Formats: sequence, C-alpha cells, structure tokens
Amino acid sequence: MSTFYTAAELARRGPDDIPESFSTARHLVYSSPATLAFNSPGAEGFGVKRAGLAVPGSVMLIVSPGCCGRNTSEISSIPQYRHRFFYYEIQEPELVTGQHLKRIPEAVDEVCRSLPEKPSVVMICATCVDALLGTDFDRVCRAAEARSGVKVRPCYMYALTREGKKPPMVQVRQSLYSLLEPRTRKGADVNLLGFFAPLDDDAELYAYLRGCGVRNIREISRCEDWEAFQQMASANFNLVLNPEARAAADDLSERLGMPYIELSQLYRIDKIHSQYQALASAIGGKIDDAADLAAARQAIETFRAGHPGLRFAVGECLNANPFELSLALTEYGFTVSEIYATAQSGYYRWIDRLAVLSPETRIYCNQDPSMLFYEAEQQVDVTLGKDAAFYHPGKPNLAFNSDRQPFGYEAVQRLFRELGEVLG
Amino acid sequence: MRGLRKVLTPFAPDQSGAVSVLYSMGALTVVIDAGGCTGNICGFDEPRWHTARSAVFSAGLRDIDAILGRDDLLIRKLEWAVKAAQSDPASRNRIRFTALVGTPVPAVIGTDYDALARIAEKKTGLKCVPIPASGMKHYDSGAEKAWLALFQKFAAASEKTDRVGVIGYTPLDFDEQTRADFDEAFGPCTVYGLDTGVEALEAAGGVRENVVIAPSGIAAAQYLERKFGTPYRVCDPFAGALLRPQTDGAKKILIVHQAVTASSLEALILARNPEAQITKASWFMTPASCGSFIALREEDDFTELVQKGGFDLIVADEVMRDLAPDCKGLWIDARHFAVSGRTEKT
Repeated sequence: MSTFYTAAELARRGPDDIPESFSTARHLVYSSPATLAFNSPGAEGFGVKRAGLAVPGSVMLIVSPGCCGRNTSEISSIPQYRHRFFYYEIQEPELVTGQHLKRIPEAVDEVCRSLPEKPSVVMICATCVDALLGTDFDRVCRAAEARSGVKVRPCYMYALTREGKKPPMVQVRQSLYSLLEPRTRKGADVNLLGFFAPLDDDAELYAYLRGCGVRNIREISRCEDWEAFQQMASANFNLVLNPEARAAADDLSERLGMPYIELSQLYRIDKIHSQYQALASAIGGKIDDAADLAAARQAIETFRAGHPGLRFAVGECLNANPFELSLALTEYGFTVSEIYATAQSGYYRWIDRLAVLSPETRIYCNQDPSMLFYEAEQQVDVTLGKDAAFYHPGKPNLAFNSDRQPFGYEAVQRLFRELGEVLG
Repeated sequence: MRGLRKVLTPFAPDQSGAVSVLYSMGALTVVIDAGGCTGNICGFDEPRWHTARSAVFSAGLRDIDAILGRDDLLIRKLEWAVKAAQSDPASRNRIRFTALVGTPVPAVIGTDYDALARIAEKKTGLKCVPIPASGMKHYDSGAEKAWLALFQKFAAASEKTDRVGVIGYTPLDFDEQTRADFDEAFGPCTVYGLDTGVEALEAAGGVRENVVIAPSGIAAAQYLERKFGTPYRVCDPFAGALLRPQTDGAKKILIVHQAVTASSLEALILARNPEAQITKASWFMTPASCGSFIALREEDDFTELVQKGGFDLIVADEVMRDLAPDCKGLWIDARHFAVSGRTEKT
C-alpha cells in the first residue's frame, strides 16, 4: 500500500514536521512519470539540456560520462534541436587526472569549426562527476572562449545538488541571462523571465502591460536571433513568473541595475485579481481586469453547472502548483480526492486552507518508493496532469502541461474549457 | 578528436545493461545515483518500464552523501524500501533479492560494493548482488557483470533436463522478440531475463545446453560450463531477419552490430553467397568466438572504414549513415536499440 497523508494530517504536523515521505533525500526514489519528467526530460518539458539551448544560435557540448548524454537523442529528434548537441565522453583515467578539462577548449574549437556558421554561444553542460571534483567551469569556459573566439558558458546538470540553494534549473537561467551585455535601458521595455516557451498569445498580461505604457515585452523564447536576445538588456524591469528565475533576476539587478517584480501562476481568481492590482500599483499604472475576471468566473460557473460534484486527482506534471490548483478547485465546489506532489514548507499557505475545506484529501509523494505499489482506492472522475493519469489509467485526463504557458484569467478559462472538452 | 561525438548520441551505458538483465528477475534494484542515471534507465533505456513495473529505484544521492560517504543512509533507505515491498500483499513474494548498481558518482568516490552488499544482506535478510558499473563503459559491460554475478549467486546443481538455456537476452539487443519467437527458435527453453526469475537461475545447472545470443552472456556461460559442465554455443537465431535479396548479390559487405548478431549474419550470408567478402565491425565487445572484428571507438573510425572499404552493402543501424555521407553502397537498417535508442515503433 502506498504511503499518503491527508491534508488535515499534514496541516496538523506543520511545515517544521513534514513527513520523510516528502523528503527525497531520505528515501529511495521511485521513477514515477513525475520523477522522470524531472530526472529524464526528453521531448516534453524543459530540463537543463533543452533549457540551455534557449539562446538563439547556440549549441551545447555535453562533457560527461557517456551515460549522461544517452537520452539526448529524444530531444535531438525535435527539429529545432537537430545538430545542436555535441558530446565529449569522459573516460575513467581522465577523471582521475582531470585531463578532460584540458581537452574541452580543443573540443569546443573543433565543434565550432565543424559548423557551417559560428554559433552565438557554446553551452558546456557539466554533470555530477564534475560537481564532486569541484571543477571550476568558469575558468574552463574562459580558456575555451579564448581558443575558439566564441562565447562559452557553463550550465550545470548537477542532480546531486537538486535540493541545494541553487539547483540546476536555477543555475541554467543564471547562465543564460549572464550573456546579456549592458545597454541603455528603455523605460517602456519589460522582460518576462521564468519560462523557456512563451506565454499563451492571448494571456491578458500582455494587454495589461501595454495598457500601463509598456511598448516592448520580451521573452527569451520569442527572440529569433542573438541581437533580439541582447535587446533584453534594455528592459526597464523584469517580471519573474517562475521562482526558479529569481536568482537570475537578482543577478540582472546587481549587474545591469534592472529591478524585478515577481508574479505567480495562480488559479484562484480572487488572488489573480489581487496580484494584478499589486502589479499596477508597483509600476504606477492601472489595470482594469473586471471583464476578464467576469469571464473567468463565468467559465467556472458554466463548467460547474455541467459537471456538478466532480472528483479530481491532481498531479504535479502540469502548468500549475498542484496545491494551489487543488485549493482553487475545492473553493470552486469540486472535490479533490488525491494529490500527487511533494509537500514543501512554502506550500503551507495552501495546504492549511485545504485542510479546512477538504481535510480528507490524500497527498502522496510521487517519489516515495511505496508508489510502486499504488492501487486506486478513492473515487475519481477526472485526472489532471500526466502523472495523475498514470495512477488512474482508465479515467479521463487533462495533461495541461504544454510548453507554452497559460497565465492569469486566461489560464483559468483555458483549464475549464479543456476540461469540458475532455469530459465531453 | 578522441572522445568527441558530433553525430551519434552516446550508446546505452553499463548501468542500463545491468538493470536490463535484472529487470524481470525479482530484484529490488537500487541504482546508486542522484536521479539522472535512473531517469535515463527508466525513462529511456528500459522500454519495459511503461508496460511492466519492476522495483528499480534511485538511491537519491545528494552531494553531501557522496562527500561524506554516507553508506549507512543508503542502507537505511534500502531497508525501508524492502519493508515497504514486503508489507504490500501483491509484491511480498516478488522481491527475492536486492541489487546495487553503480554509476559515475560511486565510481568516483571509490565505493566498496562488496562491503555494501554484505551489510545490505545482513540488514534486509535478502541476498544482495552488487554490480560495479561506472557509466563510462557500454551496456554490454554492465550486462556481462550482471549475468555473471547472478549465476554465481544463485545457480545450483540440479537434475539435467531437456531444456535449453538462453543467455544474453535484454531489450537493448532484442527489443522486438517475444517468448513465442524463442520457443520457435529453440523449442523448450529458459530465456533468462525475458520472463524468468530467481527460480530459473537456481535451476541453471539442469539445462542440457546454453545458447549465448549476445556477447554479454559469454562469461556467464563459461562459468556454467566450468561449474556444471554445461556446454554452450554462440548464435543469434534472429539474425536471419536482416537477410535481403541484396545480401545474396553483394560482393563487399560491412556488418556493424553486436558481435553475436554480426557473426551469425555473416554465416547466413556466406551460406547463400559464398563469394561475398564480409567485414565485421562493432562498437562493443568482440569475443574471439565470434571471429575477427574491426573495433570501432571514435566516429572517425567508422567514417574512415567506409571511405576506404569500398563496400557495396552496409548492414548497420541507420543513425550511422550521417557518418558516411559519401557512401555509394546500399544500406540495410539493422536497428540496434543500444546504439540509436530507436525501437520498432520509432
């Protein structure tokens, strides 16, 4: 039987006494779909390898034992990543002597010479063995840059440090934005940081920013070439839409004097409204969201009328925080029977409230070894997220994990529209 | 440049080969890694992960565990997982032993696998099989270690039967063969690793003959010959699927695959086309019993071989085509999952 805790139990224990089941450093790790989405992202989602190639015209040299580059063929099958991955396979004697570090500049040079056009930047992807050796990759990259005449930056696929202060997906964002060179800043330019694919085109955030006087809204994934990417350095401020981009925003603040504001991907419409009003006040503009708020509310009510008393199972492989989304669904009058996600202290603002509204909701950790033996016991009508579908294979599922990110009221409307389509 | 790959993605590594052997054996397998190596195995190299669950876990190592060498924590995690498995009614009898599979991190810190296995056996009460993979060798190396370790641990003398033992099956070499295919090829047979567990290993002393279908199984077959006097032969009964009308007419043929498949195919071609000049090459181990091979190590080795060889037919996984852009000969796609990661579906 799989280990779970009810929302009430988690709330009673509090953030200082989170059960070991939710601490992946305390037990063996089960390769559920959610685990694999993080540990072995292939053609879906963004891991370090795919994210590291976000800069237009860049290529990547993976410097590692052969095993670390093995599943890259899945990403290479996506047309925009073809011929952008290269590998330097470290052999055992090189690890002992550190000889591989001396050969990286030569490898970078040979990669650049083999390409019809010089790449804009070569990203060096380093792995766990160099984390253990304490390799100074900034120095290695400088040497490679000097030899090849091309910019070279490190990105760290250090799974060993995933629970540290700067996990790999934080560091890769820092690396990418460290390439921005100082420019004159423009008052009407803003960057959206956080994702490696754009927001949905009809996200209302774009219109709200324009209404506040912003003329250029830039995202790394919409930059078509190196120059377009460099224009991100002229932003007046950054909007951080994913906390994993906070460290990069801190760097930009320190290095280019670019302040930032954080926004969250939310599904509770009253909180979305509050967030937009706070944004308006911070940037000295006005955001009139009454129409969008009403449309989102209408979408929820229409769906609820068609599917009263619906019972959900919610996973973490989706474009939402599973606890915030579960709380939203509960507040909208639905039942969330099960959540598959890792409880963390920062999520208690939602877990505590969930414990009041739905104390019996079961919360499982996707990585807990007992999940290998999961058997469905709860009544579920529909699942949200690819991982939830895995546990309830016969039930209607909405994956809701597209690369393009839903945001704000548009996300809420899209969620219920797509749920309606799934349920017929 | 040595070690640099510009076309091919890395081949299946030794830890994938080891887990592939253990997958259906009834092991609770711990890959001693931070998560990425297990992710590569379950998310890519092990096609059975999505159809037939097996107790394969990551040790979930963190930097501090590796730096401090916290083996005690690893053993505690293993004990906890074994208890969870044994408390589950459905899996209680399925977990028969534990296995510890190495990766680059434990290789770098010089992990003593035998000591770990001894402690694990004491704590869990189950036999433990350690496989010191390093992530820096190919899948056949890990599979070879796993086959040998399993037979050394479990094989016992038993009454001789008419059954044939088939050693070397993993989806990394044989991703489309089913039980029916093996039955057709060998009659009553035990295909280790296909649908057999510890019981089959324990009865290994009773088979009348072993057939080795991949180089990784040869060391184990030799061990069984020494231990129980069981003879073995080396052949891939499915190599004939690569025969085409063109193989009958070609004069200079290059075959690139794992050594047993390549040598079996060579024999079949020569039986129909005795004039053919056949060159065999492999990226993997090439045991003497499979005849002479050109060992491929770098991408340039293959490019040069094709440039200088003047072959009118190449039998190899088609991912290698990009390495031979000037090749004028015909090409038969000998798909090899351990090389390209392509399956029948992809």
